[in-house]
Amino acid sequence: MNTTENNHAKESHKQQKFDLIVIGSGPAGQKSAVQAAKLGKRVALVERDRYLGGACVHRGTIPSKTLRENALRVTHMRANAKLSNFSLSENLEMSVLINRLDEVLKAHDSYMEKQMNRNHIERLHGCAEFIDKHHIKLIQPLGDPITLESEQFIIATGSYPRAPDIIPVDHEHIYDSDSILSMLYLPKSLTVLGGGVIASEYASIFQALDVKVTMIDKYPQPLGFLDSDLTNNFVHAFETMGGNWVGNTMVRKVFWDGTQVVTECEDGNIIYSEKLLCAAGRISNTRSLQLDNIGLALNKSGLISVNEKLQTDVDNIYAVGDVIGPPALASTAMEQGRRVSCNAYDVPIGNMSQMIPTGIYGIPELSSVGLSENAAREQYGDIIIGKAIFEEIARGQISGIQDGMLKIVCDSEGRKLLGVMIVGEGATELVHIGQMALLANADVDIFVESIFNFPTLAEAYRVAALAVIGQRKNKTDAF
Amino acid sequence: MNYNSAYAQSIADQLVLAIQINKIEVPLLPDVIHRVLSLTQDPESDAAQLANILQSDPTLSGHVMCIANSAAYTPNANLVSLQQAITRLGIVEISNIAIATSLNNKLFKAPGYEKHIANIWQHSLLTALWSKEVARKQRVSVEAAFLCGLLHSIGKIVILQTISDFRSTQESIMGDYDLGVLFSEYQSDICAGVAKKWGLPEVIGEAITYYTHFEDAPTHAETAATVQFSHQIATHTSDEADLSMEALRTSSTLRLLNLYPEDIDDLLAHAETISKDVKALSR
Repeated sequence: MNTTENNHAKESHKQQKFDLIVIGSGPAGQKSAVQAAKLGKRVALVERDRYLGGACVHRGTIPSKTLRENALRVTHMRANAKLSNFSLSENLEMSVLINRLDEVLKAHDSYMEKQMNRNHIERLHGCAEFIDKHHIKLIQPLGDPITLESEQFIIATGSYPRAPDIIPVDHEHIYDSDSILSMLYLPKSLTVLGGGVIASEYASIFQALDVKVTMIDKYPQPLGFLDSDLTNNFVHAFETMGGNWVGNTMVRKVFWDGTQVVTECEDGNIIYSEKLLCAAGRISNTRSLQLDNIGLALNKSGLISVNEKLQTDVDNIYAVGDVIGPPALASTAMEQGRRVSCNAYDVPIGNMSQMIPTGIYGIPELSSVGLSENAAREQYGDIIIGKAIFEEIARGQISGIQDGMLKIVCDSEGRKLLGVMIVGEGATELVHIGQMALLANADVDIFVESIFNFPTLAEAYRVAALAVIGQRKNKTDAF
Repeated sequence: MNYNSAYAQSIADQLVLAIQINKIEVPLLPDVIHRVLSLTQDPESDAAQLANILQSDPTLSGHVMCIANSAAYTPNANLVSLQQAITRLGIVEISNIAIATSLNNKLFKAPGYEKHIANIWQHSLLTALWSKEVARKQRVSVEAAFLCGLLHSIGKIVILQTISDFRSTQESIMGDYDLGVLFSEYQSDICAGVAKKWGLPEVIGEAITYYTHFEDAPTHAETAATVQFSHQIATHTSDEADLSMEALRTSSTLRLLNLYPEDIDDLLAHAETISKDVKALSR
């Protein structure tokens, strides 16, 4: 190619025009790009990172679950010490504990790459800045910025960890949820600040790996959106492993004193640990987008506001995933992604189900769908609760599952199913049985009239349902 | 490869032979450093153990105390014991100081090339500190980055040692051109040999072997690129004439490290602090 041709090629690259540019390749961005491409649109997917997948794949969901799998193996081996004569070796490198992560990530990247190619989606590596409502500047690690034009845009740039002013995150002694797995060695002790999903997951995983974990939060219980009987089980399991839950406590100051991390609490308590994880929530990632250039302002919560079509205040710009706020789940983000592209191109779709399950991959797992007991009492007043304890279920006994429980929430007549909550191993899978029953508007009787495999934890549905039926005032049936 | 002098060619031949038969002359890693390295990798280690190890080498412990008391580390402090210094600065920091001060020009005896070696160590120290910052930016292990940076030029020093060992009295000091050719030809192979001989962790061995051609690193390409980019920042901040801002911003490592122009700006904002730290460590 001569110089003139080369310049033409450069120019044509600089003037690329698309029907849709999706900014961010996490679960929401990926699904929206694929859906739009399937609708015949010319789509570009812009990703700041070298790999596709966003924080979910590279710094959050998948890495932490890989660590969790090994922590579970350690827990099981320890529980069966007589079989394996097991003890955790000293000087354990983190890379050993997330040993399969590279394979998992490469497989994921390869799968996504193929999906992009199959759907003729242009993958662009760089950082996007809005110039106006139809143009973005793509800044790359190397090379001159290029300008891209598009009819429509979808912002799916996710979120990043919030760092309160009093917590000097240095990623060496004091970590956030994006850097915690970069530790070279498993620490002897870890302080976890926060009581949300990320804090609870990491606190219980590291404690299962014999790290001395202290979890501090301003609320009395972790995972406050769940009922207290579930969180009591979680705290009991955490403390049984050796963890220390410190609730109702505000942190005044955190610093590294040269030897250890010092956490000073408002009540005068001082906690020392080798490392600290600050899990104080996440902030929508809009820093580099230059939203001012398109007249788009963030709302009071620092999020992008959208209407029911996931459309922002700028008519050709949509937003999905963590940037628009709760529930900020990968599962929801994927469906938002699919729907937003349908909305952008007026493809009719049904209403998105509001029956979204929540999964917390702690040790033990927790999961819920529908209304919690507290929320149901507020909404319905009188309600009936049925519980099944896993230790009383044959499969729970066989598997040695402790601190497991399934709870069914029903209306005052003990018929209409309102919610299901589970704590215990397998909770995040088991909850889907309850979700299907809720979506089918089934009475609680469905769990008694249906036959489940035996022995399985699904039997817990039957036991809890019978507990509900046994409390009915008008016992007109065979139960 | 063309050399300006026959002498350089003969050194090259000696190096090729030494590499082939795995007979590179590498000084033994001081025992005290072996023990410090083991201790930093032991989660059960404590300040008293580190103090005991360092006290076995009075010169080293004196040097560590001197640095720990410097303004860059503990302004307005008057640390009087190793235990106190470790408590104040931490096991990892004191270990880094100890390693950095032990792995210096005194480890190698290369008459005629003392200044070359001192300059290389100075630059390595700067690279080590920048490696920590680049690792921090990337959310990868800050702890491993320091040693990778510190040891990245060990191959050059071994080459200088070899030249010095072969040098007869009538031969003059080798010119910079020939030295540069020898370095670029053989330092990778020699780094790999040093890493093996010293039993360095895999990530460090790979980073120092492959940093100049980081794309070829089998499993730690990003760490090798971190060292290469840190080496470039160190060169740039030492003397912009040696590596311009333009060259730094177009470094071939940036794509792999995924560092954007704003990230480089953020990194360069640490230049003054790092300069102070390196001065303190070089005392």
